[in-house]
Amino acid sequence: MTIVATERLLERDEYVEALLAAAAGLTAGGGRLALVGAEAGGGKTALVQAVIARLPDGVRVLQGACDPLFAPRPLGPFADVAAACGGELRRFVERGARPHEVIGELLDQLRGAPTVLVLEDLHWADESTLDLLRLLGRRVEGLEAVVIGTYRDDELGAVHPFRIVLGDLESTTAVLRLRLPALSPEAVRQLASPHGVDAADLYAKTAGNPFFVTEVLAGGADAVPATVRDAVLAREARLAPSARGLLDVVAVASPQAELWLLERVAGDLLDELETCLASGMLAATDEAVAFRHELARLAVEESLPPNRRVELHRQVLSALEAHATGVSGIDYARAAYHAEAAGDAEAVLRYAAAAGDYAGELGASREAAAQYARALRFADHLDVRARAELLERSAYASYLAGELEEALKTQQRALECHRELGDRLRAGDSLRSFSRLLRYVGRTDEAMVIGREAVAELEPSGAGRELGLAYCNLSHLYMHREDEAGTAKWGERALELAERLGDQEIAVYALLNLGNVDQIKGRGVEKLERSLELALDAGLEEHAGRAFVSLTWWWARGRSFAPADEYFEQGLEYCTERGLDLWRHFLLAYRALSCLDRGRWDEAVEAASPVLLDPRTSPVPRITALAVLGLVRARRGDPEAWPPLDEAWAAAEPTAELQRIEPVAAARAEALWLQGRGDEVPEATKLALELALEREAWWIVGELACWRRRTGVEEEVPALSEPWAAELSGDPLRAAGLWAALDAPYEAALARAGADDEEAPATALEELRRLGARPAAAIVARRLRKRGFRSLPRGPRPATKANPAGLTARQLEVLGLVAEGLPNAEIADRLVLSRRTVDHHVSAILRKLGARTRGEAVATWQKIGSPSSRK
Amino acid sequence: MNTYVILRRRGWRTIDALRESAKRAESAVERAPDEVRWIRSYLLAEPDGCVGTVCVYEASSPEAIRAHARRAGLPVDEIVAVTETLVLEPDPVGAAA
Repeated sequence: MTIVATERLLERDEYVEALLAAAAGLTAGGGRLALVGAEAGGGKTALVQAVIARLPDGVRVLQGACDPLFAPRPLGPFADVAAACGGELRRFVERGARPHEVIGELLDQLRGAPTVLVLEDLHWADESTLDLLRLLGRRVEGLEAVVIGTYRDDELGAVHPFRIVLGDLESTTAVLRLRLPALSPEAVRQLASPHGVDAADLYAKTAGNPFFVTEVLAGGADAVPATVRDAVLAREARLAPSARGLLDVVAVASPQAELWLLERVAGDLLDELETCLASGMLAATDEAVAFRHELARLAVEESLPPNRRVELHRQVLSALEAHATGVSGIDYARAAYHAEAAGDAEAVLRYAAAAGDYAGELGASREAAAQYARALRFADHLDVRARAELLERSAYASYLAGELEEALKTQQRALECHRELGDRLRAGDSLRSFSRLLRYVGRTDEAMVIGREAVAELEPSGAGRELGLAYCNLSHLYMHREDEAGTAKWGERALELAERLGDQEIAVYALLNLGNVDQIKGRGVEKLERSLELALDAGLEEHAGRAFVSLTWWWARGRSFAPADEYFEQGLEYCTERGLDLWRHFLLAYRALSCLDRGRWDEAVEAASPVLLDPRTSPVPRITALAVLGLVRARRGDPEAWPPLDEAWAAAEPTAELQRIEPVAAARAEALWLQGRGDEVPEATKLALELALEREAWWIVGELACWRRRTGVEEEVPALSEPWAAELSGDPLRAAGLWAALDAPYEAALARAGADDEEAPATALEELRRLGARPAAAIVARRLRKRGFRSLPRGPRPATKANPAGLTARQLEVLGLVAEGLPNAEIADRLVLSRRTVDHHVSAILRKLGARTRGEAVATWQKIGSPSSRK
Repeated sequence: MNTYVILRRRGWRTIDALRESAKRAESAVERAPDEVRWIRSYLLAEPDGCVGTVCVYEASSPEAIRAHARRAGLPVDEIVAVTETLVLEPDPVGAAA
């Protein structure tokens, strides 16, 4: 935790006021999540403390901080909060409950009284903390609480996990984002003047960084040091050697040094504690001391000679161990950190493995994977059986964390260990996991070979659980080839085994695969729904996630958007709460596709973005998200349509899976047509069409055949699905009607444009313009002109172009009721919608209008968008 | 960041309406400074007396341009990517105002 003196706070008034205003609004019941970013040493903590000091009476303050450890303890900052609150929340966090279990208790706590909850240093947050923050951000509006989160924004690369959470929270209206700038030259001058320091030089070297400035002034040196580190060390150098010895110990004992710890490690130096506190380098919290700032701690730790640093880490570790046996359990993550820094292999293996298990139980799979990887770095002398066990756990944690390449490598090493031991059962099970991973990274042919090998390895050992899972895996692989016979054969064997063993998981997994094939062949969703129900009942989270994904996909692919939306929303909630990121990405990618099909370009991009921004995304959902992004650009006539479409194709083609290849091939065909490159369409659709014909996927055959027909290919195509069949049989108006009934306005307009009469193409042209589909509109207009229509409708009149904020018809309706002052529950009643759907619409309206409150949204709309302002 | 030209033809009836939009455009840039930068705009005298613009922006993607336009309530006809800029003379003040 960083503790900063609050003496002179310059140029921060407006930020303090903004946060106080949020707190003042609490009694009106509008909770906020305020995220304060600044560079390291930018004065975040000082700001927060200034706010706390000025809070009105009766506002409770809860504080927690993330630890600057590699792989910190899960739920770190919330553990501080829970300890302060006590009661149920404390019991939940202490027994290692998962974020979706903790959120309820936390919300209850926050409902109790007006509260300011401070979460410091979120750039170091573990995965569980980020999951919980995401949940909190989505619910905070209904609480009497302001959650203030601080983070270093100069340490957030584009792919930092916290950056991704920031992106996810972007659409939440209750989020207030502040960025603290560096101090101005004027402020630096004011601070420097009592010290007689050259203010211009001070500003030039510190660039106005508040921590750097404070350090230099406190150091009292004649010349301004060139770096923060030099400034810290210059300040430290003014203390006596024994005081500096104590600082060394505190620097090593990150994140803080408890008094009992100092007594054990540096009992002879404790007299210096007062000097260190008085010097302002250290600050005291409850029964512990810490550096006033992490930057100072780091500078001091890094200045230690290597042998002294190792020795101190060793001493801190043994102090932790000695203390733990007497009082309470040891913090595994903290012990593992000191063990590694001390180079103590045995201790690393003990604590890192335990920390991995603990993080895994809490669903912090990224931290679990990091701890297992840490243990494996010290596992050379471990016996083969123990190493195999560690490798298995590590591979699974990496898989859950979405680090698939790492998982593959580790799984292979585990397999080698099982082979070395001659353990066929474990080897077979390992092969099954390996096969599944190969599929997730798109190496489907290898996945099939290894999947068969797993079954061959396991069958001699008899009908156990491992064999059942291996059958399921094979069935799954055949399912993705749309191979009905293969899926059914292995799926039914698995079901049989599941019944004999009474094993729920195998039954659920088998039903999922069989249900997906039912869908491909147009036989309904009963099996999928049943497997979802079973998975939810048995708490089989991964399988439930996959069932949500399958149901969303199939309904959306068949353009049945109402059930698709329902499964998407339920599934997204379920997967977000449980940190099931892989399935979350699948759901978002399919959501993007279903928005695209409905002509909702902005929403499609919004759903695809989190998938594209997360570097850990599996290639499979990424392919879909890329295809959607590329096609949105192509349909709007925006630049840069091809880079995503090319990347999607490069990733899709080697999978040989129709489900991957088809959306990309269709998107590329359309983009080519829109850009007047129709002659390239036959080649671009060849592979996908062959696969679809071979696998008798008639919907897909129809889609591809239509694109080929539209670009002049005359060919015979067998049995087809509607509405494609109608267009191909020469009845574009019937096709258009069918598309319109499916809520697919863009497809409807394209079909209508192909009609021979005079009215239909002109209507299509207007519809395409309304959708913002410029290139398609231009094609239709050109065609009409060629056929002799002279009086084409012109573009829209000025200032009536679409509606300025891009609100949908439904959103306009909701906004109207918001303007009447109705609360969401009543709006839901009036429009016969669910409460959640209305919440959703209201958030979208606020976002689109850039408004923070409902009143602001109404005002903005009256200014820019309402019909009355357009006259 | 890439550079884009954005066409907003016949977007406003009057110059005053456009100036209102310009204020909103500016505050919309402030909301997402990592994503869009407004470089300059040329106001077009459209044949029917309306006002249009050609704008030069830097942005992280075409979607960032669209999101900015949506927030500020600006029309977008077409976004074109700029590959290179050749500047021979500074903008004449009258045209750049």
